Amino acid sequence: TVLDANAMPLPGATILVKGTNEGTQTDFDGNFTVEATAQDILMVSYIGFKSVEIPVGQQTSIQITLEEDSAALDEVVVVGYGTQKKSVVTGAISSIKASELESLPVTRIEQSLQGRTSGITIAANSGQPGSSSTIRVRGITSFGNNEPLWVVDGVIVDAGGIGYLNQSDIESIEVLKDAASQAIYGARAAAGVILVTTKKGKMGKLTVSYNGYTGLSGPARKLDLLNATEYATLFNEKYANDYNGSPQDFSLPFPNAQSLGEGTDWQDVIFNNSAKKENHEFSLSGGNEVSTFYLSFGYLDQEGIVAKEISKYKRQNIRLNSTHHINDIITVGETIGYSNEKSTGIGNTNSEFGGPLSSSINLDPTTPLIITDPAVANSGLYTNPGVVRDPNGNPYGISNLVIQEMANPLAYIQTRLGNYNWADNFVGNVYVNLELLEGLNLRSTLGGKLAYYGSESFTPVSFLNTSSVVSQNNISRSTNRGFGWNIENTLSYTKQLGDHDFTILLGQGSYSENDTKGETVTYNDIPVNSREDAAFIQVPDDQIIASAYIGTEHRVTSLFSRLTYNYKEKYLVTGIVRRDGSSRFGSNNKYGFFPSFSLGWNPLKEDFWKENDVVNQFKLRGGYGVVGSDAIGDFRYLSTIGAGRNYTFGNVSAVVIGNSPNAPANPDLKWEETRQSNIGFDARFFNNLTMTVDFYNKKTVGILQDVRLPGYVGATGSPSANVADMVNKGFDIELGYSKTFGELNVSLNGNLSYLQNEVVYLGNGIDFLSGGAGFQSSTYPITRTALGQPYNSFFGFQTRGIFQNQQEIDSYVNSEGVVIQPNAVPGDFRYEDVDDNGSITSDDRKFLGSSIPKYTFGLTLNLDYKNFDLLVFSQGAAGNKIFQGLRRLDISNANYQTEALNRWTGEGTSNTFPRLSNVDSNNNFTNPSDFYLEKGDYLRIKTVQLGYSLKREVIEDIGLTRLRVYLTGENLFTFTKYTGFDPEIGGGIFGIDRGFYPQARTGLVGLNIQF
Amino acid sequence: LLSCSKEYIELDPLGQPLVDNYYSNESEAYSGLVATYDIMGKQSKSFENMITMMNAGSDDFFAGGGGPSDGIGIQSFSNYSIDASTIPGSFWNDYFQGVFRTNILLQKLPDVPMDEALRTRFTAEAKALRAYYYFELVRLFRNVPLFTEPILTSEIYNIEQADPEAVYAQIETDLTEALPDLPSRITDLENEAGRLTQGSVQALLGKVYLYEDKNQMAAQQFAEVNGTPGGTSKYGYKLVDNFADLFSLDNEFNSESILEVAATSLANVNYDIWGGGQNEGNTVNQMVGPRGYSRTAGSSAPDYAGGWSFNTVTQGLYDVLNGDPRFDATIADLKALEAAGEATYTPGNKDTGYFLKKFMPLNSEKSTGGGNVELNYRQNVYIIRLADTYLMEAEALGASGARAQALLDAVRARVGLAPVPVSMDNIMLERRRELAGEGHRWFDLVRTDRAASVLADRGFTASKNEILPIPLNELENTLIVQNPNY
Repeated sequence: TVLDANAMPLPGATILVKGTNEGTQTDFDGNFTVEATAQDILMVSYIGFKSVEIPVGQQTSIQITLEEDSAALDEVVVVGYGTQKKSVVTGAISSIKASELESLPVTRIEQSLQGRTSGITIAANSGQPGSSSTIRVRGITSFGNNEPLWVVDGVIVDAGGIGYLNQSDIESIEVLKDAASQAIYGARAAAGVILVTTKKGKMGKLTVSYNGYTGLSGPARKLDLLNATEYATLFNEKYANDYNGSPQDFSLPFPNAQSLGEGTDWQDVIFNNSAKKENHEFSLSGGNEVSTFYLSFGYLDQEGIVAKEISKYKRQNIRLNSTHHINDIITVGETIGYSNEKSTGIGNTNSEFGGPLSSSINLDPTTPLIITDPAVANSGLYTNPGVVRDPNGNPYGISNLVIQEMANPLAYIQTRLGNYNWADNFVGNVYVNLELLEGLNLRSTLGGKLAYYGSESFTPVSFLNTSSVVSQNNISRSTNRGFGWNIENTLSYTKQLGDHDFTILLGQGSYSENDTKGETVTYNDIPVNSREDAAFIQVPDDQIIASAYIGTEHRVTSLFSRLTYNYKEKYLVTGIVRRDGSSRFGSNNKYGFFPSFSLGWNPLKEDFWKENDVVNQFKLRGGYGVVGSDAIGDFRYLSTIGAGRNYTFGNVSAVVIGNSPNAPANPDLKWEETRQSNIGFDARFFNNLTMTVDFYNKKTVGILQDVRLPGYVGATGSPSANVADMVNKGFDIELGYSKTFGELNVSLNGNLSYLQNEVVYLGNGIDFLSGGAGFQSSTYPITRTALGQPYNSFFGFQTRGIFQNQQEIDSYVNSEGVVIQPNAVPGDFRYEDVDDNGSITSDDRKFLGSSIPKYTFGLTLNLDYKNFDLLVFSQGAAGNKIFQGLRRLDISNANYQTEALNRWTGEGTSNTFPRLSNVDSNNNFTNPSDFYLEKGDYLRIKTVQLGYSLKREVIEDIGLTRLRVYLTGENLFTFTKYTGFDPEIGGGIFGIDRGFYPQARTGLVGLNIQF
Repeated sequence: LLSCSKEYIELDPLGQPLVDNYYSNESEAYSGLVATYDIMGKQSKSFENMITMMNAGSDDFFAGGGGPSDGIGIQSFSNYSIDASTIPGSFWNDYFQGVFRTNILLQKLPDVPMDEALRTRFTAEAKALRAYYYFELVRLFRNVPLFTEPILTSEIYNIEQADPEAVYAQIETDLTEALPDLPSRITDLENEAGRLTQGSVQALLGKVYLYEDKNQMAAQQFAEVNGTPGGTSKYGYKLVDNFADLFSLDNEFNSESILEVAATSLANVNYDIWGGGQNEGNTVNQMVGPRGYSRTAGSSAPDYAGGWSFNTVTQGLYDVLNGDPRFDATIADLKALEAAGEATYTPGNKDTGYFLKKFMPLNSEKSTGGGNVELNYRQNVYIIRLADTYLMEAEALGASGARAQALLDAVRARVGLAPVPVSMDNIMLERRRELAGEGHRWFDLVRTDRAASVLADRGFTASKNEILPIPLNELENTLIVQNPNY
């Protein structure tokens, strides 16, 4: 019997008779049987434990207790097309095991990486249930696609598609961070590779597990917005500031602001303090010598914290993984997962153009939520067809002051009820492994992903305000199908010749993705106007609008090889060569060649290094490699003709289809290359302190991007080109500490990453790229990519306080004595005259900070005491700026945050918040300036979990092996100075807050059962 | 194994022909021609359209809209705070797209196997359109680069602006060359109304000469377009009897129409394609409608649809038209309707109570197809109509003489007004009344050096605001030089 230190059986441990091929594995109860003679020595090993050698002697029954190997260095790491002992890995790879993920309340697996691995920046794209996160491995590698490559059990799955995975199905997640380890995925590895391995069955007794939790969520934070009295007071003040009529005609728009009281708190209207979240995951696994299987089922149902009627997510999934040893040579296996998802979104998130969040921030508090006065309810705007009413028949209030896309959220919700998106995903692979000779394996894998997805919606006739009018209803359905597949054939040979240990891998693969098609059908003006009755009722032909599309397939073909070699595990070498061909490049540049090598040294294995208690393990690693990217549109190397440049001819006004060339082609388009060197070490000190440190320098050359041409070229659309070079350098540190104090087990794991990003080349003589991120109706882009600066740095005007009086305006002159802002009035911003030309123009913009966090960090504390366990996990980011763009600038009457109460109202009142004005002739509010930039630093207590496991003796009687209950708090505290909802803002460019759907604060109670 | 071959990664673009193989037959050439016409829609078919923009810069209209920052481009043009960052780039980009499309078509046409007569006509249309687009560019921005063939990729960043005289010379050449090869008038109105004819190109050429102060040459061209004042010209042009009918949707491509941009309610325009090549709806309608317009019960007020209250009418234009027979067809007096208890609306930015009736959106005209109702109005707009060429000829004739007098009289007589003595001031006054809101006024003020005084209270700066600033994007990493004083 093989047991662990707690006398628990270890199933699946390997027993070998030394010097022979004889061997076996323990069954579920830790038992094994092996034939051996008295002179033989048994070698017993198990992952995560120290191996032992036991002389058999005269024993017929042996009880072996394995000691846990606290050194993480002996773990096995998935490296792409195989595994390696962590002690001989030469690349920079972070890995997370199932045990660290169990019962964490994440709904998508990428969230489980946040704060747990170094070198990765993760920010939620939205707090909307089911939405994905933005992941950056060692910074922003390219200007275009920065999504890491996801490989699930060997199948490449696009980043948007990993939502189908169940949390508890994950065996491990590995992140390949340096080029030396990424290069095996050459063509699409530049932005990092994330390898996900799902659980497989184990021989022995059937195991049944259940993990589930349920709880409630609410917003962690509300904005402080003006109430009705404050709003009206400021409205009056603004009116007076802008007034230029005759004094006798002057009258305040809100003559009695105090009487308005608090008014409507629109945030209260949309926020949901009791959003339900529940998750259940069952699994069943087991098997025998021939076949093993793992079967699981998951169910997740979550409501959003904003407008819960239209913010929901539901997912059900099934997974079956199995392996069959047909004979000594042939092994066949498969992993297959299916998921069904249904989500309802609030429409606009992280967009300043409407939706409930943006509306609640911008709507004036003086408009009532519901109109109860019949005189008002039956006049004016409320007589329009489609005005939305509450169950009592009273219309929802419509603002006269804040219009455009800003609608009463309750009315808006009514117009979207019942709309949803759905998806069915099938992802799986089948493989055959032939062990032709000992150590020689031929493996063929066929993987694929088939996705069906679409949406259903009914839009009733509605009148939300004078700008948001739907005068005829419609019902719409869209259906899409996407297919991707890959075939990989690898031949590997592992051999030990004396002290020389080597593995050779040769492989060939071909990949296809984006084989998509779909159609949308809309029936307009169906003869019903209630959601319940809405159906595709026959309407006249011209009321049926249909459209269809077919996607462009993206294909890659590859050849690759890898040699790993070590001498006594002392000197380690890995070399990789890969060649990829992509359908996205022209004939001259179709193929890219991606080599890498890395070296390692374990000095502790040298004779001169004496065994000691200070340094228990130490491995030095270093490598260099090149990986590539073809993440650009299809056929950009060809000059294509586009349709839809139409015109109307004839007195019957018929649309005639016009065609003309698209953007100019770039036949020279070639692979983007990322060259990365990495040096680091893995070490263990004082037996319980582990440390991994990596320094890297990553240079991306020939970055692919669509180029914004000057308008005079006359192109429709933008061509693509290799436009820039960029460097990311920094370091990643992971620290682990674990120690037992009596019955208290303490483990502390932390990581810290530092990153510096700089654009180093943009073409000859080019200092910056045209364009940048836009913001609302701002006429200037708010970011700029320029030489010597981080990618997409914030760019705008620098304020230098506020003019307190006319004398300050008159004395604000340039070096030649020219008054710089002669038209300013007291209360306006003083802008820095960067070019010293005596006036404020577009040339006075400068770099105002970066959206890329310099530091990201995480800290996990685990405590175990008797039957209690406690987890405290926190993470954060620092060194970045956020553009706080919550208020709509082109809606003059939009509400303000309470910071506006500290506006300038006279000399000495404020030096940071200018006077209020709608005319805003000094562009205090419309100029993008440091006024909108805030520090994005934050530290968040992300998860706190307290668990209690019932004693084994107690539950054994009822047939259980595990019973644990736990309480979880999620996003309990966030320490930040940021004034928006949430400083964690994902998206293509981090850190532009346009009304971000904040993350929820959640309390959960959960249960783990195993038998 | 198929994956090892090179063919595996050689894919053909589905549904996207290659430029090298395209223009291989008549219908492909025609689709290329349609794409060159597409840009004519700039007059009315997007938020950034010529009519509301140019109206907003004149003394007849304000920008209006929902608030002082609703549409920063049009607002800043209206109050002359416009600069490189606020000028909507599309006023530059779109016309250059038109130039590019005509250039590629003119490059390809000689090799297309097609009917010779059609090739000649297509070539003439492309040249005339290139001239039209350059005319818009040169009168808006003055200093623009000149291309007569597609720009080479290697040359993109080495382009300098041309001498405006050279641009005008090319415009004249293109129009002169196009003229003889065009049909004198469109006979197949059902399919071809809106395409260029000798009449429209000659009118355009006259207008170009007028802008160049080549008055005598201008008058020659206009004389052929106009014929006998009040009569029917050789191209069949004749003033429409009833002024209000000019803006009736049942009377499009009428005898007074010389160059007209058609719109349709059938293009299913939504906000994703608004302003792009697939936008075939008239946006001016929606823009100029009063916000939240609603009629009171039993009202006899017109059944306007609500809009976005752009281009509110100034008191100045109101006063000039007050008492004029054209008032009712030009200005919607919401102030009066509201005072009479007939209708209500929500005042927007720079509300005066007066709206541009020529393009008032009507509930009866709301599209019933797909897309957004507000983006699918179908009203056509004129770029040039006969009353305009009458008055331009009178001006080109030096605002004196019997013919000039007869031309002015004819315009006034059509609406029942007695003659006034012909003079520059009277012609300009007549243009203001006759063509109000059709996008001419700002150009007229600048062309006749009246802008600096008339628009002084708007903030117009002489020697600066006569032309627009060049958009910021054009100045970045290029050799393009900003216009003076911007």
